[in-house]
Amino acid sequence: MVDYALIGKGIRRVDTTAKATGEALFSADLKLPRMLVGKILRSPYAHARIVHIDTSKAERLPGVKAVITGKDVPDERWGVFRYTQDQRFLPVDKVRYVGEEVAAVAAVDEDTAIEALKLIDVEYEELPAVFDIESALKPDAPLIHDAYPGNINISVDINVGDVEKGFLESFYIREDAFEAPEDSYFQGEPYAVVAHFDSSGNLEIWMPNAGPHLKAKPLSNVLKIPLNKVRVRKITIGGAFGGRSEISPADVICAFLAKKSARPVKIVYSREENSIATRQAHSMKATIKTGVDREGRVLARDITCYMDGGAYSSTGPIAVSVPFLCMEQAYRMDNVRYRGYRIFTNKPIRGMFRVHGRAFACGIDLQLDLIGKELGFDPLEMRLKNARRPGDYTPTKSKVVSCGMVEAIERAAEKARWREKWDRLPPYHGIGIGCNSVQTGFPMGIRGGSQAFIKFNEDGGVTVITGIVDNGQGNDNMIVQIAAEELGLKVEDIQLINADTEVTPSDPGSYSMCETFVGGNAVRLAAQDAKRKLLKIASEAMKVEPERLAMRDRKIYVIDRPQEAISISRVVRMALSRRENISGEGSYWPKVDSNREWVTNPFGQLSETFSFGAVIAEVKIDPETGKVDVLEVTAAQDVGYAINPKVIEGQFEGGVAMGGQGGMLSEKVLWYGGRVLNPDQLDYMVPIAPGMPKINDIIVETNDPGGPYGAKEAGMSVAMSAAQAYASAICNALGVYIHEFPLTPDKILKAIKEKEEGKNR
Amino acid sequence: MKRNVILRINNEEYTVLTKTNRTLLEVLREDLHLTGTKEGCGEGVCGSCTVLLDGRPVRSCLLLVTEAEGREIKTIEGLAKEGRLDPIQEAFIEHHAIQCGFCSPGMILTGYALLKENPRATEEEIRFAISGNICRCTGYVKIVEAIRSLSTSEGRR
Repeated sequence: MVDYALIGKGIRRVDTTAKATGEALFSADLKLPRMLVGKILRSPYAHARIVHIDTSKAERLPGVKAVITGKDVPDERWGVFRYTQDQRFLPVDKVRYVGEEVAAVAAVDEDTAIEALKLIDVEYEELPAVFDIESALKPDAPLIHDAYPGNINISVDINVGDVEKGFLESFYIREDAFEAPEDSYFQGEPYAVVAHFDSSGNLEIWMPNAGPHLKAKPLSNVLKIPLNKVRVRKITIGGAFGGRSEISPADVICAFLAKKSARPVKIVYSREENSIATRQAHSMKATIKTGVDREGRVLARDITCYMDGGAYSSTGPIAVSVPFLCMEQAYRMDNVRYRGYRIFTNKPIRGMFRVHGRAFACGIDLQLDLIGKELGFDPLEMRLKNARRPGDYTPTKSKVVSCGMVEAIERAAEKARWREKWDRLPPYHGIGIGCNSVQTGFPMGIRGGSQAFIKFNEDGGVTVITGIVDNGQGNDNMIVQIAAEELGLKVEDIQLINADTEVTPSDPGSYSMCETFVGGNAVRLAAQDAKRKLLKIASEAMKVEPERLAMRDRKIYVIDRPQEAISISRVVRMALSRRENISGEGSYWPKVDSNREWVTNPFGQLSETFSFGAVIAEVKIDPETGKVDVLEVTAAQDVGYAINPKVIEGQFEGGVAMGGQGGMLSEKVLWYGGRVLNPDQLDYMVPIAPGMPKINDIIVETNDPGGPYGAKEAGMSVAMSAAQAYASAICNALGVYIHEFPLTPDKILKAIKEKEEGKNR
Repeated sequence: MKRNVILRINNEEYTVLTKTNRTLLEVLREDLHLTGTKEGCGEGVCGSCTVLLDGRPVRSCLLLVTEAEGREIKTIEGLAKEGRLDPIQEAFIEHHAIQCGFCSPGMILTGYALLKENPRATEEEIRFAISGNICRCTGYVKIVEAIRSLSTSEGRR
């Protein structure tokens, strides 16, 4: 075990003092001189042609400084891939969901802006609309985009091995269908943007983002200005969970309002706008057919999954693939066919969520429980029989280098006392397990690498420059902890400049769970580069080979004679007096197959490494009310190596709340046609403090050979496996397997009733 | 209608010329630049806008500014004294009870008010007290630990 000074320690996060005092500024907190208030007019129709927009009355209202419609914004379309670019930031032809942006104003205050919105006349010609997958797929369904016949946005077809032969050889086969409605992000911070142009045509813009560079490029495209004029600034970000990675029409609208008014503009979304007009998560229907041998090992799987994508492509090809990819990583399945479809409907746009694919993942796990029940194996045995092992290849040909799946399952089972409890719990008590695996970075083309710089001052202090962004998960601290460790400095010696596109080099963003792995590696390499320069100078001064020197406590010392030391600041000054500067540069590109493509070629190394985890939940159900009381949850995940264990625990605990407590007990979007009935926290019901279970965190470390200090993904896996474990535990308590999530009291009472009726028959 | 409203915030007096139909939250954030108080929903659900009014937590988004006249208002900016963080702020930092930080000002003030009123608060009482403060990041575990670390009740960790 390496003796690190800071790595592996649960030190205080560098960002939290400012957050505890109110000093940390979020986008909505910014105030610039002469700043205007921006407001967006949204479509009241789910599907309608825009016949005419008259903004003249709004423009004449005193205090209104700019009004824009689709005509003011160039015809640049958003979609993550060239073949999915289908969303104009302000549409000109038609609107496709209730809440879509139609026009916008900037005015001296909020009241004037709201008044101006009322004065915009929009003539719509309403079109027939579709609100669910079945209706959208009917032959006579209204077409939402001309370019997508049948409203089929994306089709992914993966066929590995010989599925038919696998079924023929199977001892037992079953097919089940699972479904779940839309869920939603409910980040603490509602979306907000501030934009400002200077007289040289440089854009400064602040907004919650999961990668400033992911925002800058589409802004550069639509504004027709070079990238070095788009300055996406660092700002505190109030949570993302997958929902802040794409450009938002609000970013573009705010920039155009600022340009037209020649004044800074701020748009702050209401909670309702954040729920409807940022992103929602997909609703999903998954049909899973699985064949196993006598021992319960999976021989073949055939999976078909339909996802409601809402009105535009967004991250479509990735969203269709990831639920399958997580499960093909988590469990061995040599012969497998996956058909995934993302269908357009006239509903808000769907993106990637931390609990993405709950119907899919819970379906795979619940079906393993059902199969085990038939064959006489408990869920734990079923997981162990099928668990992914190190050295394996996934069906789509990713090598699994480090893998602690079995260890995670075993340690969770031991802590949760599974073997004592299984089959021995009182009536309406249940225990269940869920397993998952998550990527540590996707192939992201020219955006896939991260670069970092280190600057040394003559007093030994350091500034780190990197594109890594912090959405709240602790990435700023991760950067500082790594740089301080490598350079033998204290945390307070490190200053950070990050997530600012004017200054910081490109980075994939806090997207695809890769910031620690990719960005962290780049920071480490940059620090090592600077360290090499310092050690060379120190080695000459101390007359010791550089390999025999190390850095710690602001000193460079001889490893086997620690009393022989020289301060780092002195070595920096020595360098400067020799007319040499001490700086460092590092970049890291994950080893992924750049030929892998989500639809056309879904084979090859998807991610350099993967996380693996298991969650066990124990529940008690009140058969009178259908209410679930979650007694204890044990979350175990192979995170490679815990750079800061306290940060990791926070990810696990937040994951249990979001995926399990929320994702399986209450969270779902309610609809009236295309209208969201519960865009607020009260009616959507995110978890609150009372009722949360006791959570045991188990950090499994497999020391990934490619990760910084062995680290890999840590923020998403538990959220998903918690949903699976909750579903498994509740069904175990009921003795009935429910195929529709979340498992709300109405479904539980119905299941109990049907079970009783079955008994009495 | 505009008039002068006199507010006592963090032991200082402010005179604000404002329309009387505005909320305390709006005046704090927009007129006085006390942006530590956050707006998460604007309808009294999320608790991000919590401030203390005569020591009790209230939602500043539901309070008209005139209702706060003559009362002692404390915002997150008023918790640290002479450059020293309040113990509850220290506890939140030390226990990793802060992730994105958006709910933290409201959460910290709610915890502060609870411990002033009930220094021996149990875990259950803490969970009840913060039930109106929504945190989407932490699962509340470390928030409860942070508040509990300052409680004198038996059995605290």
